[in-house]
Amino acid sequence: MPNGFRVVQKGQCTVELGAVVVVPGGRDLGAIQGTQFCARQASENSRPLYSSRLPILGNDVLQSWIERVRKLGLQNLWLISPTDENAIWSRLRGFAQQGVERLLMITLKSYAEMDLADLLRFHHETRNPVTEALDAQGQLGVRLLDHRAFHGTCENNESFRVPDNGGQTPYQFRGYAKRILSAKERQELVGDALTGACAMRPFGKQIREQVWIGEGAQLADSVRVIGPTYIGARTVVRAGATIGPFASVEHDCVVDCGTIVERSTVLPYTYLAPGLLIRHGLVDGGRLEDLSWETVVDLQPTGLGSRIRRGESRRKTFRENDNSSRTGGAFVWGSRPSSGAPQPWMQVQL
Amino acid sequence: MKTEAHTILPFPCESSSASRRALRKGFLATLRISGRPVIVDLSDCSTLNHDDIDLLLDCVAHATGRDTELLLVAGSRVNRVLLEVTRISTVVPVFNSVEEAVAHPNSVKSAKEQIAPPPIATENAEDQRTSQFQGLWSA
Repeated sequence: MPNGFRVVQKGQCTVELGAVVVVPGGRDLGAIQGTQFCARQASENSRPLYSSRLPILGNDVLQSWIERVRKLGLQNLWLISPTDENAIWSRLRGFAQQGVERLLMITLKSYAEMDLADLLRFHHETRNPVTEALDAQGQLGVRLLDHRAFHGTCENNESFRVPDNGGQTPYQFRGYAKRILSAKERQELVGDALTGACAMRPFGKQIREQVWIGEGAQLADSVRVIGPTYIGARTVVRAGATIGPFASVEHDCVVDCGTIVERSTVLPYTYLAPGLLIRHGLVDGGRLEDLSWETVVDLQPTGLGSRIRRGESRRKTFRENDNSSRTGGAFVWGSRPSSGAPQPWMQVQL
Repeated sequence: MKTEAHTILPFPCESSSASRRALRKGFLATLRISGRPVIVDLSDCSTLNHDDIDLLLDCVAHATGRDTELLLVAGSRVNRVLLEVTRISTVVPVFNSVEEAVAHPNSVKSAKEQIAPPPIATENAEDQRTSQFQGLWSA
């Protein structure tokens, strides 16, 4: 019996539904275990500036998808990193051999408040081999593949390619969705979450209306915080700085004296020098994506911004605490092979 | 380089510390003695480092202290963003090209003020204001 999928016995062993989450960007998924946000890796990639695993108001979008998959009654799912398409190929072949009837494939590129059960119902009703979820702007990265679609690919031994829906009726999603790999939509999501326009909530203590502060954040007395705003855990904001409105400074950042962060996001482990004006931007370490001028600027040579090196123990403690507090320990990460080789896939118990 | 009403200073892209010192000296001297709006043109410099920003901040401080009109030509989006992030653009007008900077009304007005003849001194304050007004527009 294949491990971890809902199983329907019909004379022989078949699996009604399997779930895979594809994490873009070619990451060692083992490194995600316990420490979800690898800002170092993100900084080494010229594009995108940040990965889909970087937090949004302290939230991990992967976890929101995992929660939705869990609501379907699945006991586990697979995380796949597409560094090597063979990894996906071998995983899909594994599903085919296990007799998986349908495969829910989520590419981690959007935050969508989607009822996956409704997507399943739609897929059953339309009898499409592939059902693609779309919103007004196009694909959301969520697909249901019938066994006809991906078994054929496996049997023909073709190189891996996600089957498209071949012009068949897509699933039109009309709920809330934002693409998290786009700095602009990411910032829109921050604004919506801060004002309650979507289901996401900032992960921290609400100290006054529309202002949330993470655990261990340090704000000098003269700091001005203008809501709606979020300041992440252990972030230090020095004298005379102004944060907000519509600002998100994620965990473990330092905003130096007098700097203004307005309608912007500062990603984890970022240092901002004194006296700056960050407006309509997304800062990740030494790089700034300016949304007004639609340009990316390297702040490192100017000394205006940089990546903060982090302590191993500090990082571990936070993410482990974060995981358990959010899920109540309801799911655990799958075991990792003892070899030091990068792991292209891993199983997550729900 | 000088136009009829402006002094244009091209900003070199890279320079050694010695040449940068000379550049700084030259820039500040120009701001001190120019007597007309100074346009610092960053077009040859695709991006700025911390020395460049230091120098620009010196220029801004120098110009502000002397009421000299200083204008910047960003030359690239990256420079434009850096000028905004450092808040230089909040105290100095920034343009995309030298032509835009030259055509900027404040700079034209400032240039006219600079080249206008001094008002004729009269004992009557009302007359003095009138002659200043005429002086401004007679340039």
